[in-house]
Amino acid sequence: MNNVIVIAIRNLFRYKRRTFLTSSLIAFGVILVIVFGGLAIAFKTQMIGTLTNTALGDLQIHKKGYVESIDNLPLNLTMSGTTLAEVESSLQQNSSVAAYSLRVKFGAMISNYTQTSNIRLSAVHPELENRTCPGLVGRIKGGVSDPDSFLKPGELLVPDNLMKGLGLNVGDEIVLVATNKDGSVNGIPLRIGAVIESILGPGGKDGYMHIEDAKTLLRMDNTEIVEIAVHLKDFGQLSAVFSELKRTMFSDEAGIELHTWEQLSPFASIVRIVDLLIFMVRFILISIVLVSILNIMTMSVYERISEIGTLAAMGTRPARVLFMFLAEGFAMGLLSTVAGVIIGIGSLSLMTLTPIVFTFGMMQVTLMPDIPFQEVLLVTGIVMFVSVFAGLHPAYKASQMEPVDALGHV
Amino acid sequence: MALIKLENVTKIYSSADVPVAALKGIDLEIERSAFVSFIGPSGSGKTTLLNLMGVLDKPTEGTLVVNDVDIRSLDRAEAATFRANTIGFVFQNFNLIPVLTVYENVEYPLLMVKRVPAKERSSRILDLLERVGMTDHKDKLPNQISGGQKQRVAVARALVTNPRLVLADEPTANLDHATAFKVIAIMHEMQKELGTTFIFSTHDPKIVGEAEILYTLEDGVLVSRDTPERIEVPL
Repeated sequence: MNNVIVIAIRNLFRYKRRTFLTSSLIAFGVILVIVFGGLAIAFKTQMIGTLTNTALGDLQIHKKGYVESIDNLPLNLTMSGTTLAEVESSLQQNSSVAAYSLRVKFGAMISNYTQTSNIRLSAVHPELENRTCPGLVGRIKGGVSDPDSFLKPGELLVPDNLMKGLGLNVGDEIVLVATNKDGSVNGIPLRIGAVIESILGPGGKDGYMHIEDAKTLLRMDNTEIVEIAVHLKDFGQLSAVFSELKRTMFSDEAGIELHTWEQLSPFASIVRIVDLLIFMVRFILISIVLVSILNIMTMSVYERISEIGTLAAMGTRPARVLFMFLAEGFAMGLLSTVAGVIIGIGSLSLMTLTPIVFTFGMMQVTLMPDIPFQEVLLVTGIVMFVSVFAGLHPAYKASQMEPVDALGHV
Repeated sequence: MALIKLENVTKIYSSADVPVAALKGIDLEIERSAFVSFIGPSGSGKTTLLNLMGVLDKPTEGTLVVNDVDIRSLDRAEAATFRANTIGFVFQNFNLIPVLTVYENVEYPLLMVKRVPAKERSSRILDLLERVGMTDHKDKLPNQISGGQKQRVAVARALVTNPRLVLADEPTANLDHATAFKVIAIMHEMQKELGTTFIFSTHDPKIVGEAEILYTLEDGVLVSRDTPERIEVPL
């Protein structure tokens, strides 16, 4: 075995330039997968983290049917009384849940007494919201001294474009008018507490108010919660916690529904596209390795027909000839992969020293790529497998040569 | 009992659908420990005959028995094993493995084909390299030694498995006369010391006199058998 590998490596170095060029091509493919994988995974992680930590939460719980009609922000699909108490109790008992926030979401009209516009509002308990979406306070212009009370009763956080559209300043008084679930219209005066930046840039009309103000505005006698956002201790456990919650706490009779952030955000499509791109890059790598190894091994076999004849004449069995050429393809793949992995990991390590910062919507995204060890293992496995697979045909051809024909080959 | 026995051996190649008879009804016996040469012009069938005796090819017709084995009964793998155990080859172009050193080239049949233990392997290789005068060059690659040295290594490689038979197809064709005589002398010495049967083909009229028995082929037919005293013996 060792001798076959030694002979294989020596044969590779016999044609140094050709081996170097082919290995470089394969190594380049490996570097591409590792660097692209590292950056893409970092981008995904950063974006998902921003979305879940500043607005969505990792999971959301609603009254059954709410998500289907989410565009209308219906106020008749709420959780209250026993149902709400049971859900809260379940969340409190689940060790994977770090925090949750109770929200009332509704649409309203905002007026500066001369102009009126519409606004989508999330009414929250600021301390619960801050624990569930710790990145939210980062979106408040001018900063917040106490994140747990980023919103006080009587205050409203208004998105930037509405502030500009209505000519408002922080501290100005406005009137908020809304229709409650019974069709009754009510209005209350509030003060602009701060400007909140929208995640997705200009066009967002999402504001925040205190839940007690919402109860007054909507004339709620009891707390009627539209949405519960849940923050997990470990985001990596999302699927497991989702399944566990769904299995243990949410039966059909409960009349509530549970969704992960992926089911609620259009960014999940971007994540899927990023995953597809990673797959495409892997596919390109497979193609590079397949064509390169197939090409070099075919050339190798045809250049060494007489040598194959000599090996066969000395009594080398066909299976061993096959193995010798397979080992050559494998050695080529292994050497290239080692070089590619070292350069790829090195490149990613350099990138961590100089992080890439860019803006996505209103989000400042800082790419700090981690070494994607799973990707490194996967790419190594792929190259090794494809190297052997690509060498199979030329190696088989070599093993099946008649010694007398091979020896007579010029 | 003869080492090699051919009875009415015919070999026909089909080239572009035109059958060409390379050997026509050869009857021949070669005794053990003989030192035999085949001569004849190009295309007379020397290489074809050596290929058949080396179990690299099979006759189209007739019977060929080498070391008591009818070679027509062997499949590819069995033929490979038979060659590994019974036959050594010396080629016109030396055919050393270019990525292996002199030592490793001689070692190859023992290590990769017969799997002889390391200690025994080393002793046999060094003994043979000593006999062919290549000990000082054992760590060199084939491209670092001369043609004559390469052929000496090839002789050592052919003999390292202690074969009954060594076949050499034009072993001196790429060597100058002095070197050619040296190589033939080494082969002769090995034949005497080890009792190995040597069969070689050649064009070189000065070399043919070195054989104990000389067969002449013309157009695929064996036309004469000479002794060292150059007395023609009727076939």
